[in-house]
Amino acid sequence: MSSANLIRIALGAYLLIFFSYLLGPLVVMSLTAFNSSGFPSVSPWACFTFEWFGVLFEDKHIRDGLFYSVVIGIGTVILSVSMGLAASIVLTQVWPRFRSTYYTMIIAPILIPGVVLGISTLVFWDRVGRFLGVEDGSFLYGLFHNGIFLTILGQSSFIASYAMLVFVARLQRFDPGLTEAALDLGATHTQAFRKILLPFMRPAIASASVLAFLASFENYNTTTFTIIDYKTLTTVLAQKVRLGINPSISSLAFIIITLTVFAALIFEAVQRNKARKDAVRRGKLKTGDKGILPSFLRGNPAAIMLVLLSFVVIAMVGTAQSYSPEQCKIRVKEERQIEIQKRIDALKKARAEQQATEAAEAEAEIPAKPAPATSGAFGNVFAPDNLTTEEEEVDVAPEAGSGAFGNVFAPGNLSDEGAEAEEPPKPEAGSGAFGNVFDPGNLSGGD
Amino acid sequence: MKKMPFAEFFRNNGPVMGSLLIGLVGFWLIFLILLPQLSMLDYSFRFNLPPAELGGPKDVYTLSNYEHLLYGSDETKQSFNTVDLKVFVRTIIAAIIVTIFNIVLCYPLAYFLGQAKGAGMARLLVVLLIIPYWINEILRAFALRIIFGETGLLNEALMFLHLASEPIDFIRQDVALYAGLGYAYILLMLFPMYNVIESLDRNQIEAARDMGASWLHIHRRIVIPHAKPGIASGSTMVFMLSAGALAAPQILGGPSSLWFTQLVYQWFNDSLNWQQGAAYAIVLLVSTIAIVLTFMKIFKVNMGDIGK
Amino acid sequence: MSSGVAVDLENITIRFGDFTAVKDANVNIKGGDFFSFLGPSGCGKTTILRAVSGFLEPSEGRVLIGGNDMAGIGPNKRPTALIFQNLALFPLMTVWENIAFSMEVAGASAKERRKRADELLDMIALPGQGDKLPSELSGGQKQRVAIARALCANPDVLLLDEPLSALDLKLRQHMRTELREIQKRVGITFIYITHDQGEALTMSDNVAVMKAGIIDQIASGHEIYDDPATPFVASFVGENNVFRGKIKSIDGGHAIISTNRSGDLVARITPAQVGNLAVGDEAMMFVRPEAFEVAPEQGSTGQNLVSAKAVNEEFEGNSFSVFLEGDGGKLIKMSVPNLGQDRISTQGHDLTLRYEPSNAVVMPAGELASE
Repeated sequence: MSSANLIRIALGAYLLIFFSYLLGPLVVMSLTAFNSSGFPSVSPWACFTFEWFGVLFEDKHIRDGLFYSVVIGIGTVILSVSMGLAASIVLTQVWPRFRSTYYTMIIAPILIPGVVLGISTLVFWDRVGRFLGVEDGSFLYGLFHNGIFLTILGQSSFIASYAMLVFVARLQRFDPGLTEAALDLGATHTQAFRKILLPFMRPAIASASVLAFLASFENYNTTTFTIIDYKTLTTVLAQKVRLGINPSISSLAFIIITLTVFAALIFEAVQRNKARKDAVRRGKLKTGDKGILPSFLRGNPAAIMLVLLSFVVIAMVGTAQSYSPEQCKIRVKEERQIEIQKRIDALKKARAEQQATEAAEAEAEIPAKPAPATSGAFGNVFAPDNLTTEEEEVDVAPEAGSGAFGNVFAPGNLSDEGAEAEEPPKPEAGSGAFGNVFDPGNLSGGD
Repeated sequence: MKKMPFAEFFRNNGPVMGSLLIGLVGFWLIFLILLPQLSMLDYSFRFNLPPAELGGPKDVYTLSNYEHLLYGSDETKQSFNTVDLKVFVRTIIAAIIVTIFNIVLCYPLAYFLGQAKGAGMARLLVVLLIIPYWINEILRAFALRIIFGETGLLNEALMFLHLASEPIDFIRQDVALYAGLGYAYILLMLFPMYNVIESLDRNQIEAARDMGASWLHIHRRIVIPHAKPGIASGSTMVFMLSAGALAAPQILGGPSSLWFTQLVYQWFNDSLNWQQGAAYAIVLLVSTIAIVLTFMKIFKVNMGDIGK
Repeated sequence: MSSGVAVDLENITIRFGDFTAVKDANVNIKGGDFFSFLGPSGCGKTTILRAVSGFLEPSEGRVLIGGNDMAGIGPNKRPTALIFQNLALFPLMTVWENIAFSMEVAGASAKERRKRADELLDMIALPGQGDKLPSELSGGQKQRVAIARALCANPDVLLLDEPLSALDLKLRQHMRTELREIQKRVGITFIYITHDQGEALTMSDNVAVMKAGIIDQIASGHEIYDDPATPFVASFVGENNVFRGKIKSIDGGHAIISTNRSGDLVARITPAQVGNLAVGDEAMMFVRPEAFEVAPEQGSTGQNLVSAKAVNEEFEGNSFSVFLEGDGGKLIKMSVPNLGQDRISTQGHDLTLRYEPSNAVVMPAGELASE
C-alpha cells in the first residue's frame, strides 16, 4: 500500500522534526562548549578545547550560585513535599460538596504566573515585617528580607502543587481500609501514618522530591524577585546570558545534560532490572547463572548504554588533562591574519570599484545611513566590549566579530541598492564572513 | 445533633496528625497564596511613597497605578498609553499563538506515543523527551540563542545553502522568541495529552474503523473528544506559562519588543516602584485567568481536569 | 484466651445527612456467641459493624462492650478486632509482620513478636510461611492470615465483614467450618456480617435479619427458617411460596386464610405474630417448596390441598424442582428429594399438592424481599 508507506514516511519526518526541535538546540549548545571561539558557536569552528570548563570552575559567581541553589532546593523540597502531601491527604477526606473548590485552590498556584508569585511573596513578607514593627537589623527583619527564606516560600507556593499532583495519583491506589485496619489493631493515628501510609507513599515522595528539587533549581521567574541580595545558579546564568556570553555557560549546560542523561539511564536501567527480577521471581524467566555479562546488564540496553557513556566520560576527562589546543590556536590565529589581510584587500578593491561606480552614477545619499542602524541593533547583543574584555579571546573574538559584521559593512551589500552591476565584490564579502567555516586549515586544526 | 465541621476530620486523623495536616495546608493556602495575593492587590492601589510618609495623610488608596497602564503619564487622560498597551496585547496574542502551535505540534506525537502503549520504541522516545525537560529554562533559551543568533547555526546554514544572502535577524523578528516559548513549555502540552490518549481503549478506534469511519472522522469524533481534558490541561498550562514567561523574553526577545512581564520586572527592579509593578502584575493575573476561564467555558472543560 | 464478652446495642440510630442507615436497633449479643447480621446489600449491617468497631459514632443510642459504654472511644482503644471484607493485609509487610502488627504498635520486641506470630501461623496451619509477602499467598491463605492478625491483638470481640465473599464456592464452604472451629477454640464473641444466608445459618448461634436499616428478627438459624417473624424474613431466608389473602377464621395456633386464587388454606401462626392477626386482615401465607408433596388422593379438595399443573422440572442433583401453575396462573415451586429410584416425570400433569399445616406459616401482609 503506497498510502501506508506515505503515512509512515510522514510520521518519520514529523518525528525527526519534533525531536530535532527538542534535542537539536541542546546538542548544538553542548558542542559550543568545546569550541575555542570566544562566542558560543559551532561555526566557525576554531579549535577543540576544554578551556571553557576551566573558566566555568574558576567562576566564583557560578560556584556561589550553585551553593545557594542547592540550599534553597533542599528547603523547598522539605516544605513543598510536606505541604503537598498534607494537601493530597486532605483532598481524599474533604467532604464531597467542598471537594472541587478545594481542588481548584490547591491547583491554582501552578497557573499563577511565577512573576506574580514572586512579587506577592516579596510584598507580603515586607508587610508582615512592618505590621509586626520589627526593627531594621533585628532577627525577624533579617528573616523577612532574606532572599533565601523568601525564595523558599515563593517557590514552595507553587511547587507544592506539583508535589500534590504526584501524591494524588499515588493515593488513588491506596486502600483506606489499611489505615483503618492498623487503627483497629491498636495503632495510634500517628503510628498508622508512619507505618502504613508513609511506606506506601515512599516512591511518590521520592519522585516528588526529585521533581521539587529540579523545579526549584531551574526556577527563574519567581526567584528573580525574591532572591534579593543572593544569587542562585539560575539568576547568575540569566544575568550572564543577558549581559554577555561565553562558552563557559555551554560547558555548564553540557555538564547538566550529561548528568541528566546519566540519571535518566540509571532510572531506566533500574526499572528494567526490577521488571526482569519480577519476571524471574514469577518463574517466567530462567535465572541462568552462566553468561559473560553480569546479570544487571542482561537484556537491559539502558544499563549497557550507561556503562558505555561512563567510559566516554572517563576518556574525556582523561584527555582533558593532557590535551592542549595551543598549537591549533596559533595556527588559527595565523590563518585569521591571512584571512584579514585578504579581506582588507577585498574591501579596498571593492571600495575602489564602488567609488568608481558612485562617481559614474553620481549618487551620494545612500552609503552611511543603513549601517549604523544595523550595528546599533546588535550593539547590545554582540557588543564588542564584551567579547574583548576577556584576555583569552583577544586574538580570536574580534575576527569572529568582524566576520559577522563583515557583510553588513561590506560595500557590496550597500551597493545593492545602488547598482546592479556590483556583482563581483559580493561573493567576496560573503566568503570573507564565512571563509573560516570552509577553510580546510581550520578543519584539520580541529582534529 | 449538628457536628462541628472539623470534628469528623480530627476523629479520622487523630489530634496530632489532624493538626499537622490542617496546619500545613492552612499555612500553604493562607500564608503562601491568599494573603500574599491580597497584599499585592492592596499594594497596587497605593502610591509609591518614601518610608517616612507611610501611614501618613498621603497614604490613601488610588487608581493611579491602573490609570498609568491605560493613559501613561498623561494626566489629562486624552491619549492612551499605546506603548504599554501594545506590549500587553502582543503578549496575550503571542501566548495564544504559542499555545495553538504547541497543540498542533504535540497532538500527532501524543497520539503516536499514547497508542504505542509503552512499546520499546515509544518508551525510548519518552525518556528522550524527559531529558530537555530537566535542563534549566535559561540554558534552553541560551541554546536557542546560539542557533538563532546573527552568527548562529541557522543563519550560517541558510547562507551556506544560499537560501539567504545575509544573516536574518531572527531575534528582532521575534522568531527566536516564539520558537523559544514554544520550546520551553512544549512538554507541558505533550504529557497531559499523552496521558489521556493512552487511556483511550484501542478497541474504540478499531470499532470505528470497522464501521467505515475515515481517519479524519475517527480523530474528530473519538480521539479528540476523549483527549479534550488533556488538551485543555496542556493548553491552560502553556498559555499561562507563556504569558507569564520572563526568562525567554529577556534572553530571546528583540531589543525593541518587550513582553508584559518585562514591564513588571522593570517597575520592580529598575524603577523600584513596587506599587506600579503590583498593579501590572494584577492586570496580568486577572486577564490571563479570565481568558483561561472563557476558553474553558467555550470548550466545556472543568477545573478538575487540569493537572491530570 | 479471654472468654466471651457481651456486646449490647441500645437504640442505635445512625444517620448520614438525611439518610438513615440504621434505625433504632436493639441487639443483645451474649458473650462467646457467634452472631450474624444477615441482610441484602445496603441494609445497614456494615454500618452497625463500623459503629461497634468505633469507625463511626452512632447518631443516637449506645454501644456497650462488656457492659462499658464505648462512646468517645476510638477504634484503636476498643477491645475489638475487625476482619475487613478485602482483608486489608498490609502489602508492604511480610506475613509475620502483618500478624504481629498489633504487638509492634504496642512496643513489643521483635523477638516476642516473631514468637507469637509463629504460634499463630501454626494455629492457622501455615507454618513457616511467615517471611512471605501477602501477595505471594493464595486467597484462602490470606484469609487465615487476616484471622491470625486479628486474633493476635487478643480482642474480646472479633468482627468479620463478609470475609468469605471473595473466595470460590469450595473454599468458602471449607472456611465456614474452619471459622466455626476457631471460634469454638478461642471462645470469644464473633460478630459476622453477611448477605449469604447459607453462611449465616450454618455458622451462627444467633442471626439478626436486617432490611433497610431495620432489624426484623433476632433468633437462632432454626427459628428464623421455621418461624420467620415477617414476610421479609420468610421470603429472604430460603425459598418460599407465598399465598396472599384475608384471614377467614382463627383457631388457637392456626388460622384459615381465604387466598385470592387457591381457595381456603390453613396455616400455623408463628409465635412472633400471635395476637397480631384478626379475622378480615390482609395476610400472607408461606409454604416452603420442600413442605409440598404429591397428595395420595389426587383430585380431592381440602384446606391443606392445592391443585396445580406441573409445567417444568429442573434436576438439581440432590432434588428435583417442580414448577407448577395453580389456578389463575399462580406459580408454585415444589422440591422433591432425589431418592435415586426411577421416578415418573410429573411434567404436564394436573396434580394435587398437600402440606402439613404445621409447615405453613401465616402473618400480616408486608414487604417481601425483592429478588
